[in-house]
Amino acid sequence: MSRETASSRFVVPEFGSAGKLWVGFLAALVVVGVAAWAYQLTTGLVVTGMRNVFSWGLYIMMFVLFVGLSAGGLIISSAPKFFHSHRYEGFARLGVLVSLACITVAGLLILPDIGRPERLYQFFTSPDFRSPMVWDFGIVILYGALNLWYLWLLTRRDLAARGSRLALGVEDTEAGRERDRTLMFWTAAVALPTAVALHSVTGWIFATQIGRGDWFSPLVAPVFIAKALVSGLGLLLVVSVLVSRFTRFSVDREELTSLGKVLGIFLAFHVVYLLAAERLPHAWADHFGFWAITGSFLIGESAYFWLWTVVGGAVPLVMLALPSFRERVSVIFTASALAVFGTTFEGVRLVFTGYDAANIDAAPGISVGGEYAGVTTDIWASAGSYTPTLVELAVTAGVIAIGALIVTFGLRYIPIQAENESTAVATDGGETRGEGR
Amino acid sequence: MTNYGLVIDQERCIGCHACAVTCKQENNVGLGQYWNRVLTEGGDKMDTPAGTYPENGEDGTLEMSYQPTACQHCENAPCVKVCPVNATYTREDGIVEIDYDKCIGCRYCMAACPYNARVFNWDEPQTVPEDGTGDVPARPQGVVEKCTFCSHRVEEGLDPACVVNCPADARIFGDLDNEESTVSKYIKKYQTTRLLEDRGTDPKTYYIRGEMSPGRPQTSDKMESELDDVSVWSEPKDNGPVEESGGSGGGGSHSSLSNDALPHVPAFEGGDD
Repeated sequence: MSRETASSRFVVPEFGSAGKLWVGFLAALVVVGVAAWAYQLTTGLVVTGMRNVFSWGLYIMMFVLFVGLSAGGLIISSAPKFFHSHRYEGFARLGVLVSLACITVAGLLILPDIGRPERLYQFFTSPDFRSPMVWDFGIVILYGALNLWYLWLLTRRDLAARGSRLALGVEDTEAGRERDRTLMFWTAAVALPTAVALHSVTGWIFATQIGRGDWFSPLVAPVFIAKALVSGLGLLLVVSVLVSRFTRFSVDREELTSLGKVLGIFLAFHVVYLLAAERLPHAWADHFGFWAITGSFLIGESAYFWLWTVVGGAVPLVMLALPSFRERVSVIFTASALAVFGTTFEGVRLVFTGYDAANIDAAPGISVGGEYAGVTTDIWASAGSYTPTLVELAVTAGVIAIGALIVTFGLRYIPIQAENESTAVATDGGETRGEGR
Repeated sequence: MTNYGLVIDQERCIGCHACAVTCKQENNVGLGQYWNRVLTEGGDKMDTPAGTYPENGEDGTLEMSYQPTACQHCENAPCVKVCPVNATYTREDGIVEIDYDKCIGCRYCMAACPYNARVFNWDEPQTVPEDGTGDVPARPQGVVEKCTFCSHRVEEGLDPACVVNCPADARIFGDLDNEESTVSKYIKKYQTTRLLEDRGTDPKTYYIRGEMSPGRPQTSDKMESELDDVSVWSEPKDNGPVEESGGSGGGGSHSSLSNDALPHVPAFEGGDD
């Protein structure tokens, strides 16, 4: 009813000096990243740490991470809509904005990994539908488009009310808002299976490969879903706390705590249950004694394993499990940040398990290729090793900065805080939860 | 239908790396890269055996053999299935090949290949001679390349370079769909293995272990199918009344093979390490 008065507001009315500094910083990262990519394009992927044995690196590791990160926002905003609930309404728009930024980052991260990006049109002219990469290409684009549409759908009437050109000619009418709510339900109905498909297909890129160690496991796709829930929700909570700290955006403390509890459940399911389900059969089959089985089950093989399971799993899980503790914003923030940090290393570990050992490792091994100096004869490797180079780090940082810019400009030009959404939604009996800030 | 395959007799292989070197020359493979490499099955280093010397009262257990390894040209090739843009494809004649003008350089095929048979041009390849030989297409920076069974030679009726230039005649190339071809007969007759058979890739490269075969029959660089006189090797009936022909199939023809007193076929059987 009172849509004219203050249907919503921009949480960043204008960029102050701190805001300008932040945007300038991100823009600088983008410029450095583009320059690094240009250098890589002219010199070749030889400037990366990748070689013939270890042929995917940081770009793919971060692609896996950002596909996962893009899950949280869309699921948190669309799942309640699908069930006609108003829970977590305050996070809906910010969530979709973060999802959009993350899927954009994920898609862009593929570009620098491609040896000849000018030929990417081949995906349209000569696709092989047996390739999981073609499936993923399709689903990433669909998911990105869906996020963009959903964000616009959530905010277009408010944009119109504010006279923003981003409303693209849509007018703010009560009938229109009514129609949008139906559209939102249907969008949510499409968004949920699309999100499940996105993470499964990304998992299947790896899970279909018989040639790469632990990649070939039917569990990879469900693990990718669980990972997406953990890291996606973790990132949404981190961003919510940061945005409420530095802009006029305000979070509902009750909902924040509630989402913290949900994160704890996701963590328990992912890091405790699915990981145990994955490890136990191998540990049991490979060892004989009780303690040998137990040891192999509990003790991981690399630093990435510990960074993921303890720093990114057990620690935040304990933080979110203690009732007196988990109410605090600082605890939710730290636990969420650790969950995202840990999930990063899960992707890193996945790529390493595929490449660190060669199936056929007899001497002299595999020619690694690149920078043949003509001095040494050692062009061979019988195991993979990888350290990202400065160029890869610069390109990756630049792409992530693009994502941060998307969120920043979204906060500035899109009404992220839906203030009276609940009163407006009262059609199906939803009570007011907006408690008028 | 033609379905090309390769048989490598590891009992004949002397580990000279001629196949690896001739492959590099024939296909103008860039420095620092190999399409075909000779691996040592044995110790930790090239040309070192596993086991111990027969000294200090110990039994000698030294053991070493060579495994030349290149693209296995799998029937169920994972690299073909993962290629998003159909740049890697299986030809009508069974050869797995790459269209270097299509390849986008995503390297999914390198992740898919269990044999690490593929190499990527991480930078502009340095080749000797610099401008290439003109026999094979040049591959630019940013694409994946690998063994083609020398399809440019096969199309002209010639055996792959590694086959022709194997001084031990350990490599035999031919049509797996033709039961009369030497490769088909050897696969039937000898104990063969294929690499990583448990992965289900169904490779068309077979390795003979155990009993030594007579090796590659023809002395010409032409493919077996291009020759008339190969029959003297595989089907002794044309060569004279050595034995009854046909009938008994692969087994029969083999016994005649080893009885043939033709040059450079070792007269002994079951050559040991």
